[in-house]
Amino acid sequence: MNPVPAQAGIGLRLPHHAQVLASRPRAAWLEVHPENYMADESARAELEAISAHYPLSLHAVGLSLGSAEGVDQAHLARLRRLVERLRPALVSDHLSWSTSSGHYLPDLLPLPYTEEALRIVCRNVAQVQDFLGRKILVENPSTYLRFAASVVPEAEFLAAVARTTGCGVVFDVNNIFVSASNQRIAPAQALSDWCRALDAGSVGEIHLAGHARVTVGSGEELRIDDHGDHVCAEVWTLYEKSLAHFGPCPTLIEWDTRLPELPVLLAEAALAQARLDERQRHSYARAV
Amino acid sequence: MHAPSEPALAALQSQMAAALLAVTPEAQQLPPELFAGAHPGAVGLRVHRNTLLGAISNALRMSFSAVDRLVGEEFFDRMAVEYARAMPPRVPQLDEYGSGFAAYIERFPGTENLPYLAELAAFDWQVAALGRLCHASEGGAVLELEGHVRLTFATPLRTHRAAYPVGQLRAAILAEDLETLRAVDLTPGEYRYALWRSDQGVNVRAVSVVSARFLDAALSGADGTAALAAAGEVEQSAAEVVATLAKEILPAGFVRVETIAPQSV
Repeated sequence: MNPVPAQAGIGLRLPHHAQVLASRPRAAWLEVHPENYMADESARAELEAISAHYPLSLHAVGLSLGSAEGVDQAHLARLRRLVERLRPALVSDHLSWSTSSGHYLPDLLPLPYTEEALRIVCRNVAQVQDFLGRKILVENPSTYLRFAASVVPEAEFLAAVARTTGCGVVFDVNNIFVSASNQRIAPAQALSDWCRALDAGSVGEIHLAGHARVTVGSGEELRIDDHGDHVCAEVWTLYEKSLAHFGPCPTLIEWDTRLPELPVLLAEAALAQARLDERQRHSYARAV
Repeated sequence: MHAPSEPALAALQSQMAAALLAVTPEAQQLPPELFAGAHPGAVGLRVHRNTLLGAISNALRMSFSAVDRLVGEEFFDRMAVEYARAMPPRVPQLDEYGSGFAAYIERFPGTENLPYLAELAAFDWQVAALGRLCHASEGGAVLELEGHVRLTFATPLRTHRAAYPVGQLRAAILAEDLETLRAVDLTPGEYRYALWRSDQGVNVRAVSVVSARFLDAALSGADGTAALAAAGEVEQSAAEVVATLAKEILPAGFVRVETIAPQSV
């Protein structure tokens, strides 16, 4: 298992497999959605070949860590088999739910941040970590609605999950920006709240992505986390502040919809790498 | 940390899942007092509904590519969304989702002039499933014929049976070859195909009923004699069976033929 360095990586998607295998582009590490490889033997074989050359992170979307009915044991077993086979440096999923009454709804659905939900998420995260025999990271989601029952701020909720279970955090800066914008909170204020709530050592990975802007019925703007564009200027600014607070972290460029050519993705990762390098220089200068 | 009206999480998730998959505008709503954000809860619910139904449509589109091309994106989305609402996924591996789609669209309103659509979907599904498997250079079925010839079949290899010429249809649709598509004889009948995985992808070859029976028997572990007998059940003489196999199977690319050297005494 190669550790994921505090450098910029890219989300690897199936259409780029052949090119990555053939040209082995400069990317510090790769992240994939394990659900894309559980039933696809052919894609899995390609990923195994690719993973010989890059540190790997498995970023799940199907564990449904917030489901009241618990984690699907069959899915967890499939994830473990993949983890044993690929030996990734990181394994993660989201602070959300997607299964109910035995149905899987392919989205990261929001939780009410209540005591009950906190107990359930902690139970599920602990169960996953016990079953996999390793620590996982949990990502803050983008939100489009807020429950009246929520009594714990999202950042404090995830910080409590991390403290209780020992899990780490995937700190998704784009999600913070999208959620804050949608809830009419100043993004810089939202970032400060997150930085204050999380233990610095709990952040194992930072995510960056682009998002869409749509107008809803009332004429108001909503931001949708579709991972379908370049990282916007405001998110780059929040990222720089995040690095200043948490220090250099493995940083991922995610791009899922309207997937561009591989060089576009790599160029976006280079922009993150430049900021990481700058932060490293700054840290070094302060140390000496 | 406790709101007096806090619903149990299981109940809330069940309510929300039902609202997200509901058809009518009334059933898609949740009580507004559940929400307290800057936007009405219905706005957020709409975003989630679009995301999850879009994800399901796209997953089905990957597995049913010829059906998608034939009916067009908008109509395919309609079929996919209705299917998703009737039979939501049960696992997060969406490439495994859709085993009931072919049957579901068989009498889908608006497809009356496409009697072969469900058959085409079943063929798409078979091709997609095979595409997820790895080509293996070893391990295929081996058959000896009368002690003289050894046949080693490619793996994975499948046969497919349809009431319409779905192989020809699918190839023409995906190639956007309208001329060939119009020329396909759509007379219902018994159409058989061999499908196999190679390093380049999934290969399809139309075969006769004789060859399909021979392949089915070989793939289910029959020996050469039994496979020839199975192929011969379609009332051909033994010589005709062998001639058909020699014409269709031997040059097909999914079988390696070796002559067995006579053993010295």
